[in-house]
Amino acid sequence: MISPVRQRASDSGYWASLIEAVAVHEDRAAFGALLEHFAPLVKTFMRRSGVTEASADELAQETLLAVWRKASLFDPSTAGAAAWIFTIARNLRIDSYRRGRRDGLTESSDVDAEFQVEDSPGPDSRVAAAQAETRVRAALAQLSEDQRRVLELSFYEEKAHGEIARILRIPLGTVKSRSRLAMNRLRNLLGEFS
Amino acid sequence: MSIQHHPVDELLTDFAAGTLDLGQHVAVATHLTRCSRCRDAMHLMEHVGGAVLAGLSPTPMSGDALARVEARLRQPVVYEARREEPEPGTLDDMPGLPAFVRRYPAASWKWIAPGVRLRPIRLPAESDTRVFLLKSAPGTKMLEHTHTGTEMTCVLTGSFSHEAGNYSPGDFDLGDNTMNHNVTVGPGEDCICLVAMHGDLRLAGIIGTLIQPFIRM
Repeated sequence: MISPVRQRASDSGYWASLIEAVAVHEDRAAFGALLEHFAPLVKTFMRRSGVTEASADELAQETLLAVWRKASLFDPSTAGAAAWIFTIARNLRIDSYRRGRRDGLTESSDVDAEFQVEDSPGPDSRVAAAQAETRVRAALAQLSEDQRRVLELSFYEEKAHGEIARILRIPLGTVKSRSRLAMNRLRNLLGEFS
Repeated sequence: MSIQHHPVDELLTDFAAGTLDLGQHVAVATHLTRCSRCRDAMHLMEHVGGAVLAGLSPTPMSGDALARVEARLRQPVVYEARREEPEPGTLDDMPGLPAFVRRYPAASWKWIAPGVRLRPIRLPAESDTRVFLLKSAPGTKMLEHTHTGTEMTCVLTGSFSHEAGNYSPGDFDLGDNTMNHNVTVGPGEDCICLVAMHGDLRLAGIIGTLIQPFIRM
């Protein structure tokens, strides 16, 4: 039997509606549910990026706090809940990495700006979020376990390919060629679903 | 003219994953600003990132972590003061740069060879990659060179060509030590490119040896 929580967790529209409830009503209960579900996932993401246990906990808290503060910037028509929270976590990870290197000339808002590459308003051909999520999920399901692993690892590792090579105990060149194959396959699959 | 040369998929993935070195990130961002096709691909990879996040197994938060976040919800946001405010508008005259790059401080144009000028851009965080603008007069033949590392180039204005084809505004070129470039700048107007260079250029011949120190900046 599937628990109600599991059912809801797999429904990305559910999480998006909670973020909107936070944006519109500052809904604490909605935020509580987001916090409980996503903070432990972000913590795993940070741990796998090579962050210490304490920092991963801290960064997961910061990420969810940013979800609360930036909820009004969430656009459910272009970003899914998980994808949006991923971008927040990614940017905080970059920010924390830079601070760790003591060259702290940037702040997290600068990192956010570094991902603003939409040149002009007007119709971008950007795919609708719900559609993109379905496509991505279907495409990932069709990759081999190996391809998924290579692709997934490249998301939460700094120095992605070298680390992947070490973890999978295969030469760097092999990781690169597998990653390229996985990407090509994914791109083809994503194309098929469009 | 439409964009012909795009970054390879891996670079778009690394961009979306946030694992690119800042200098290389700047080069890919410059292309993305012009190319909606690659923007779409990059955003799809952010969705893949979301799917990866959603599929991870949770790590329990420390004892009072959730309560601490709840307690901070009502606190006003305190922004740290910037330690250094870049001079406003230094690169505002450069078409085709992403907005965040236009805020970076840049030195003035330096002569490095007949018909070729270079303008270093100062990045706000440590990077293993040097970023600069390169301006070449129409018809200039660039020195034959190879690379010790990788070099990313995105055309802002004008055009150039080498063995792999013609490059116009928005086009992206990735050079590494497997290539030996014979670059010719197109006719009509100056060609300005944003270049992110990892490692050093190796210039062929005596003139190359003479100007090498300038290129190292």
